[in-house]
Amino acid sequence: MKKILVVDDEENICKLYREELEEMGYEVTTALDGGSAIAALEKARYDLVTLDMRMKGMDGIETLRKMKERDASLPVIISSAYEEYKNDFGSWASDAYIVKSADTAALRDTVKKILG
Amino acid sequence: MTMEPVERTELSILSEIGRISTSADDLHRKLQRIIEVVMRGIGKDGASVFLLDRSGKNVILEAAMGLNQEAVGKLTFPLGKGIAGWVAEQKVPLALADPYSDPRFQYVPETGIERFKSLVAAPIMDEDRCFGVIFVLSGQNWNATSSEVTILTTTANQISGVIRSTLLFQDIEDRLARLASIYEISMALTSTLDLNQLLSLIARNTTSSLRAQGCTIHLLDLPAGDGENRELRLTFIDDAVRDIDTVFGERMQTNTIRDKRPLLIADTSQDARVQDISNQHRVSILSVPLIFHDRVTGVITLYSTEQGQPFIDDDLQFLTTIASGAAVAVENAALFEREERMAGDARVRAQEFSILYDVGTAMSATLNLDRLLRIILTAATMGGTGLGFNRAILLLTNERTNILQGMMGVGPTSWDEASRAWTEVARKHKSLMEWIQTGELFESRDSEINEVARRIRMHMDPDEGVLARTVLEKRSFNVLDAASDPLVPKDLRDTLRVNSFATVPLVAKGRAIGAILVDNLFTRRPITDHDIRFLTMFAHQAALAIDNAVIHSNMETMNRDIRVIHEQLAQSEKMAALGTMMAEITHEIRNPLVSIGGFTRRLARKVTDPDAKKYIDIILSEVGRLEGIIHDNLAYIKNVGPQFSRTSLNNIVEEVLPVYEDELRQRGINIERDLSPEIGSLDMDPQQIKQAVVNLVANAMEAMENGGTLTVRTYPSADSRDAVMEIGDTGPGISPESMHNLFNPYYTTKVRGTGLGLPITHRIVKAHKGNIVFRNKETGGAVFTLRLPVPQEK
Repeated sequence: MKKILVVDDEENICKLYREELEEMGYEVTTALDGGSAIAALEKARYDLVTLDMRMKGMDGIETLRKMKERDASLPVIISSAYEEYKNDFGSWASDAYIVKSADTAALRDTVKKILG
Repeated sequence: MTMEPVERTELSILSEIGRISTSADDLHRKLQRIIEVVMRGIGKDGASVFLLDRSGKNVILEAAMGLNQEAVGKLTFPLGKGIAGWVAEQKVPLALADPYSDPRFQYVPETGIERFKSLVAAPIMDEDRCFGVIFVLSGQNWNATSSEVTILTTTANQISGVIRSTLLFQDIEDRLARLASIYEISMALTSTLDLNQLLSLIARNTTSSLRAQGCTIHLLDLPAGDGENRELRLTFIDDAVRDIDTVFGERMQTNTIRDKRPLLIADTSQDARVQDISNQHRVSILSVPLIFHDRVTGVITLYSTEQGQPFIDDDLQFLTTIASGAAVAVENAALFEREERMAGDARVRAQEFSILYDVGTAMSATLNLDRLLRIILTAATMGGTGLGFNRAILLLTNERTNILQGMMGVGPTSWDEASRAWTEVARKHKSLMEWIQTGELFESRDSEINEVARRIRMHMDPDEGVLARTVLEKRSFNVLDAASDPLVPKDLRDTLRVNSFATVPLVAKGRAIGAILVDNLFTRRPITDHDIRFLTMFAHQAALAIDNAVIHSNMETMNRDIRVIHEQLAQSEKMAALGTMMAEITHEIRNPLVSIGGFTRRLARKVTDPDAKKYIDIILSEVGRLEGIIHDNLAYIKNVGPQFSRTSLNNIVEEVLPVYEDELRQRGINIERDLSPEIGSLDMDPQQIKQAVVNLVANAMEAMENGGTLTVRTYPSADSRDAVMEIGDTGPGISPESMHNLFNPYYTTKVRGTGLGLPITHRIVKAHKGNIVFRNKETGGAVFTLRLPVPQEK
């Protein structure tokens, strides 16, 4: 079973993403900040990360950089409430960028595309 | 002892003469009485006395008994001619019983000599000198005895004493009289400093003192000051001798000036020096140079005609004395006149300076170009305290377009308006300043001359004629006859409606910035060289004032532009702040919305109750609406696309840098710029690119807390496909931690500001299909390199 790490400082978002993704058949772990996300990656191997941009403490960009330093091949989907930077994700070395929405179709489609 | 009758006669005659000689009578009266005594004593019926004249070359009848008295003072014989002339020359007595048969006798009618048959003549001798001849005449045939001749000779000797003492006395009297007249003339010479009056005075006094008939005075080039060449010659000619002066004057002057010596011609008919021109005239001439400091300054010439006495050496002496005084007096008068003239010049100059001062004050009172031009032209057309031309036009050059354009014209439209305005100026004695403050001298905007002025427009090409040349050659032109002047184009002549005008260039700091054209359409007063000189001075001052006003106006424009940029920047900052706020709101609202909407969707899949399903749909549609609002708002604020137009990147840099100049200076930061003109214009949104440049400059400035150098370079890329701009600083450079976050909108090392500067710049450059990179220099400091594509011409 493929493992996904959901990183978001909003507990409800974590919960929503977990339920949606588990329903799709993935094993989901959540982290509420960048530090715990990196720690989770130390403990287990994940196939995909969804990463919030703006978080308290270490923010998404910094977390992304550290994740990619650890393992550049780990796919990371940026999941952000900001839609204005969605064209810039390439420069931040993420693999995809989705704008958070009540309609989780974009999330599901992107995950499916990456993990097959 | 008894006396012989002859001796008795002689004694009585001699004692009689002695008595007469001590009488108070004048010489003529004494001689008259003496010959009467002699005539009676000898017992004859006629007697006469001839005396040598002043020249000693003629004898002249001085007294007569039995002859016509009209001949007295007129009948004259040259020495050696006639009986009288012969006796005076030979100095021996002569007795003629029948003079009419004697070859020496010369008959002169109307003297009455024919009434006498015989005569005895004796020379009047004083030692070896002969004063004259005394005659005794007899109506009867008379063979004079030797004793009668002796009596006459003795009597003649006695007379010589009378004559000698009288002549001595007369000589003394003459000398005293001359001294008196020299004194009088000297007094007269110091009484006036008017040159004409002075000449007239000298002429009258010398003429009367020397009993001459007239006088001429010619002054040569009058004494002049340093570097001043005065051509003026003054001449005084007595009308009485005008004709004579025409014949002799020039010859006398030429000789006198050449010889620097007085010249005396006693009788022009006898004198070799003037014989070639003097056949009709018998004139006596005295010509004396006026000498001042060894220089001949003039010639004074006196004429005595046939009616008067010929001049003698004494007269020459006298005139020479007078002339030496006169020369000084003339010199003084000429100097005085020159001083006066210079004082007059100084007054004019002072007035001109006062005008220039007024105009300068008026001009310095404004930096408004339109108002300044009006002041200049009003000054040019104002009488009294202004320059006083009828009309004036001012033209300015546009250096960029190379066109000379008439800016403004001032002047009356009609004679009526002209005289009304000028009268008012004269009446009110207002200064230029007051005129400017209280209103216009002439109706301005709609005046004909203003329209004429504004119609004048030409390329600055010498072929365009006098106006273009005034500017190009930086010199004035005084056009006297426009119709025949090849430099005056016909259309200019037709527009101006005047045949004479003048132009002067407006030159400020060596640059010709325009020209002023003036004319005197109404008064037709010719424009003089002096007018032009003054106008040139005026134009120089006006040009400086205009230049200042133009600079000021440019600075105002620049300040306005800077203000606009500031406002735009403030707007951008506001937008950025609004964007930040919206981003916050987005984050704060979007997350709960995602939760609400997400879980509601999950709920919808599990609920089967139709009512509940309906409510869930309402919730979902409202969540969707809210998400749409957020999306639309963000799009509005953040995603306004660039509005492209062809713009020069260099111009944008030049606009931005002045905004920061003050702050950079305060922070001790130098600016080094090297903007290549080769990059040309690009397709860009000027506002956005300006924002990008501002952000980079501000970023560089804030990196240099302790001063440094800001470098701005532009150049084309090696393949010419991009325009490159580098903005560098000499700050600490970009830290490794910052490098990855530099364009991250929420990363900043700055204490203040939104932290969005570089991300926004990044976004703008991306939107322009360009790119931006940065690096740390080996020498310290950071360089941002921005590339924008050069439009590819199809």
